[in-house]
Amino acid sequence: MTITSDGPAVSPHNTPRGPAPKSRGFFSLVLEALVTQRIVLLGVLIVLVLIIMSVLDGMGMLSGAFNADYLAAALINLVPLAMLGLAQLLVILSGLGGIDLSVGSMVSLTGVIFGFAYGIWGWEFFPALMLAILAGAACGAINGSLVSYVGFPPLIATLATYYAFRSIALVISNQKPVNSIEIQNFYSAAQAIELPLIGGSLPLVPLGIFTFLIPCVIVVWLLLNKTGFGQRVYALGTNNVAAIWSGINVKTNRMAVYVLSGVISGLVAVVTVAQFASARPDAGTSGNGMALPSITIAVLGGVAIMGGIGRVSGIVLATLLIVWVNAGILLAFPGNDGTQFQLLALGLVLILASLLNGLTKRKYGGI
Amino acid sequence: MTIDQRSAPAAAQRATARRILPPPVTGQEIVLVGVIAVLWILLGLFTPAFLSPSSIQPLLVSVAPVALIGVGMTFIIITAGIDVSVAGAIMLCAVITAKSLVDSNLPLLPAVGLSIAVGLALGMLNGVLTAYGRVHAIIITFGTANVFQFLALRVFGSSTVNGIPSTFDVFGRGEAGRTLGIPHSFAITVLVVAAGWWYLRHTAGGRHLFAIGGNANAARLAGIKVQPRVMMAYGLTGALVGLASCFFIASGTSTLDQAVGSGQELAVIAATVIGGTSILGGRGSVIGTLLGAVLVQTVTSGVTQLGWPTQLANLFVGIFIIVAVGTDLLRERARRKA
Repeated sequence: MTITSDGPAVSPHNTPRGPAPKSRGFFSLVLEALVTQRIVLLGVLIVLVLIIMSVLDGMGMLSGAFNADYLAAALINLVPLAMLGLAQLLVILSGLGGIDLSVGSMVSLTGVIFGFAYGIWGWEFFPALMLAILAGAACGAINGSLVSYVGFPPLIATLATYYAFRSIALVISNQKPVNSIEIQNFYSAAQAIELPLIGGSLPLVPLGIFTFLIPCVIVVWLLLNKTGFGQRVYALGTNNVAAIWSGINVKTNRMAVYVLSGVISGLVAVVTVAQFASARPDAGTSGNGMALPSITIAVLGGVAIMGGIGRVSGIVLATLLIVWVNAGILLAFPGNDGTQFQLLALGLVLILASLLNGLTKRKYGGI
Repeated sequence: MTIDQRSAPAAAQRATARRILPPPVTGQEIVLVGVIAVLWILLGLFTPAFLSPSSIQPLLVSVAPVALIGVGMTFIIITAGIDVSVAGAIMLCAVITAKSLVDSNLPLLPAVGLSIAVGLALGMLNGVLTAYGRVHAIIITFGTANVFQFLALRVFGSSTVNGIPSTFDVFGRGEAGRTLGIPHSFAITVLVVAAGWWYLRHTAGGRHLFAIGGNANAARLAGIKVQPRVMMAYGLTGALVGLASCFFIASGTSTLDQAVGSGQELAVIAATVIGGTSILGGRGSVIGTLLGAVLVQTVTSGVTQLGWPTQLANLFVGIFIIVAVGTDLLRERARRKA
């Protein structure tokens, strides 16, 4: 981007949106980059959080050390959150009010099913994992067929299945967590490991990052950016009618998005079973559940709630921001206060991010 | 100005003769009355205790707060919005009111007034952000839900509120909460539902809400002040949340714990959509919402009385949402074709 482009001379880059830039100061360009490029904003915010927390740490106002080890350990919360954020990304991208309130319930239900298979029926890990994925896909297929074939508004369809899946999870498990010895040993899948080769000088990183999160991020990124399916999802969300007229099988593609959301929820269920060392029937629904944070992350990551706009990188950075802010808050406000201030931070971040999305749309014509 | 014009040309001809009104009772409501009747008869057959006053009265008491907030939620959803911050708002209103009851022993009316005022303020905050921030309501209210919950937890101060005086017993389950066998809280709810029905059907302001939900741009071009109307709908919901919080305080013992209101936002939305209000806006009725709330509570209490696992009730709630909205979708499709 050029910093000064005087007069009506043909600018080297085409800016199709917004008023034609005449002579613009450095700050207005920085401001536009911050407001319109969500990645830039998130990057700046993450750096800000790290600086502020380090300063507080230096002043001795924290109850623990805010260092690389602590930040790496906090990444264990990144895995489920970022994966569900990706699930929300796919669903919201597909447009027509796409949203999935049932991700938390699907996590609970598939987690219990995985717990039964792995912990009680004595299945091997991979068949049990496949079962969890299949169960998630089946749940997602219910959502998807309700939304895309019957024509339910996604909010209603997933609200109904939120109730239904949550209830089934609690009833089939008799409201008791599955924590047989196999499940307890499964905790090893969530522990922190030292990276090979260069790991000696780096902090320990939770294993789930490599076994679940990174593959998931790569697959979703490839799907969205390198396949026809991804292009069709963007097309659906941008203009459903245009997508129909350009010959896209709208129904199948929209259904696929919900199935994928279910599959990711199934994977998250396995991750949470490992983290808790127990298959809890309320894993995804206790407290505020997992749906709300995942939607928050999607909005914060710059996904337009009306569909068609959103990127994988936004989701990952938004989750990183949330996870580290939460970790910092826990140090700044020990005990019960910490979890309460996390609520405040999540709420304020969501409101500000969405107001910013609205402002961006008005001022610069879109994210 | 009406939205529900099934036979536009004929209606236009009659327009000069008299006002055009939608039918007073919708098809969804008749279906719901039938479903509730069948359920009550079945439950009465299997558990004879169900159709006794001692079983119906608590049912109506538990319907009251959900249906009451549901009136506001219906207004909001008719404008094509939604409010998922209800649970947090209940928590905040309830804890502030309960604390002031304990600390300064407020009499009944000032306490109710305080609760309504707090609720109104919270609702207006949602309304301002939604109407003027031009952000989708579900996002804003998800955000405010967290903030409300945070504030409520701060007021709670990580312990329960104990020793609440019996000021609110007039809204409770006990003998003091009934006149001629009818629970006061349910009677108040029915009055509010009636007022809401009249407002939505017979006043310009009510019809404006439908117009906004049908097409906000068209409504603005037709001269409707869209933003104040939308803000009012959220404010109303907040005020009703305040009143309902008094019912929640009354329904407990003398202790208020931090779980108050938890999950109510979804219960209210479920009651509203089961009642035939379209989540896409422009269509809905408060009577349906009341019936939806009765249906949900019937299922919950029926599951308990049949001795089934309590958690099974939520499965039925989910199924009812799908069936209710599904039949509505099919009817709408048939209507479009006709």
